[in-house]
Amino acid sequence: MNKKPLTLYRHLNKLRWVSLIIVFSMLILLPFLHMYQTFVAAHGYDLLSNADKDIYNVMATLTSPFTENPAKGLDVIKGNTWSGTFFGLQLSDPLSVVSQIAAGLTIYWPFVLTALIPVLLTLIFGRFFCGWICPATFLYELNTNLAAWAHRAGLPVGNRHFDRRLKYLILLVGLILSAITGSVLVAAIYPPAIVGRELYYGIALGGFGAGSIFFVITLLFDLLVARRGFCRYLCPGGALYSLLGHFRLVRIQRLVKTCNDCAMCNAVCEFGLDPLHDNFGQECNNCTACIAICPTDALTFEIKITDQPNQGPGHLGHLYKREQGKNSSTKQEAIK
Amino acid sequence: MKRRSFIQQVIFGTGVLAAASLPYGLSSLLSPKVQAATRSRREIPLPGALADPEEFASACIGCGLCSEVCPPHCVLFHERDGGGRVNIPYINPEERGCTLCGKCMKVCPTNALSVTAREKVTMGIAQIDRTACYPWVDRGICGACVSACPIGEKAINFKLWNQYRPVVQKGCVGCGLCVEVCPQPSLPIRIVDRSMGTITPSRI
Repeated sequence: MNKKPLTLYRHLNKLRWVSLIIVFSMLILLPFLHMYQTFVAAHGYDLLSNADKDIYNVMATLTSPFTENPAKGLDVIKGNTWSGTFFGLQLSDPLSVVSQIAAGLTIYWPFVLTALIPVLLTLIFGRFFCGWICPATFLYELNTNLAAWAHRAGLPVGNRHFDRRLKYLILLVGLILSAITGSVLVAAIYPPAIVGRELYYGIALGGFGAGSIFFVITLLFDLLVARRGFCRYLCPGGALYSLLGHFRLVRIQRLVKTCNDCAMCNAVCEFGLDPLHDNFGQECNNCTACIAICPTDALTFEIKITDQPNQGPGHLGHLYKREQGKNSSTKQEAIK
Repeated sequence: MKRRSFIQQVIFGTGVLAAASLPYGLSSLLSPKVQAATRSRREIPLPGALADPEEFASACIGCGLCSEVCPPHCVLFHERDGGGRVNIPYINPEERGCTLCGKCMKVCPTNALSVTAREKVTMGIAQIDRTACYPWVDRGICGACVSACPIGEKAINFKLWNQYRPVVQKGCVGCGLCVEVCPQPSLPIRIVDRSMGTITPSRI
């Protein structure tokens, strides 16, 4: 009965960082690729400024192994995590579909189907987008590290707690406001959409927009008010993913026999969940940070549709031994 | 006591609602609304866009794909302004015109842009101010707009008895390439709504 988690699970957190870095660097690379495509389409290399010539040369060397005809061949990967095309496959954020339906009050099926694969993956893996793909998560987690350094240096860092149900209300208010104003308002406050398009504006269109100011405000909110506060308490996309992932199949679960109650999982959890008391809930994003930090390999993936109820203190901890001692003494008394 | 607890609940509820709408208020505060009427000449719809701008704003999710595939890089966005219309795409023909390549219609995930034949695009119609255009005021020969037009004869050609005086035809779709190439600083050619005709009414 003593199950041991696969050693692979301990390294998934590194894989997650690789995935986040790939997504974020693609979002930076794609605007440059588009500029290169426009330069190629214009056939005017000699007319470019020196900086643009540099971009042209770098992108030409980068893409020459992959495509002969950059004006067409580079169209295979376009867009951002809000909506994009990937080798002919159109993918959209489920929130973009829901908010577009709310804004237009009509259903356009080809667009709804672009969210099918993300929705299916969310039904299986829960809120995995937030931990593994979201370009804002990359910056927010770096921000968390910054906050940790600031805390170590003795600077004041916010660690308030709010009601995490607030984000569901924000989702609802956003959809209602979208329906009233007839525009996709949720996109204006949804960090991955903001990061995706602001990187494009900043690189290809020559200036950041208003969304970047909003994003900086959320970074400051995370730093000064609540750790990872926007994702935990405010993000409408996170709310939708949490609702979809309520009955997710793949869950992180605690193995009570090897747990020693060290509570490192609770300390490291970006979303402020409570793995120590088996209280994962629908908001776990399967980021595997708790598995990576667990000193006794007491956390593992299991295929279930609900969390197991609180299993009590870990069998390697002091609390469990004391209770065992009490139980055995009461038993001995009973025998006497 | 009952009344007091009821009032407390109401105050709590409104407080929570205010907290929930705070991000939206903040984002609209950061991007104030700009009057659409002052900029219609510099803001024409994309090819294949839904006819009603309100409908277009509700169908567009602001993903920016149309701009990312655009070869001439002509699609711009309401970046810092627009309130509810934030990151809605438009084309400013005075900066860069559309070449009607049709990539944006193909890539758009929603029905905001739908695939349309090049002759059936309705972005507007070019209108020529005959009191400012060089050939029309006998200040030389030009023909830049005619040579730039991607549609050709059906959209814009020269007046029959006087070469180099451009006349816009019914086939014009309003892509704005003529506006981009026009050498006259006051831009006597401009893209307007189709109902406004092809000749700017004289103010004299």
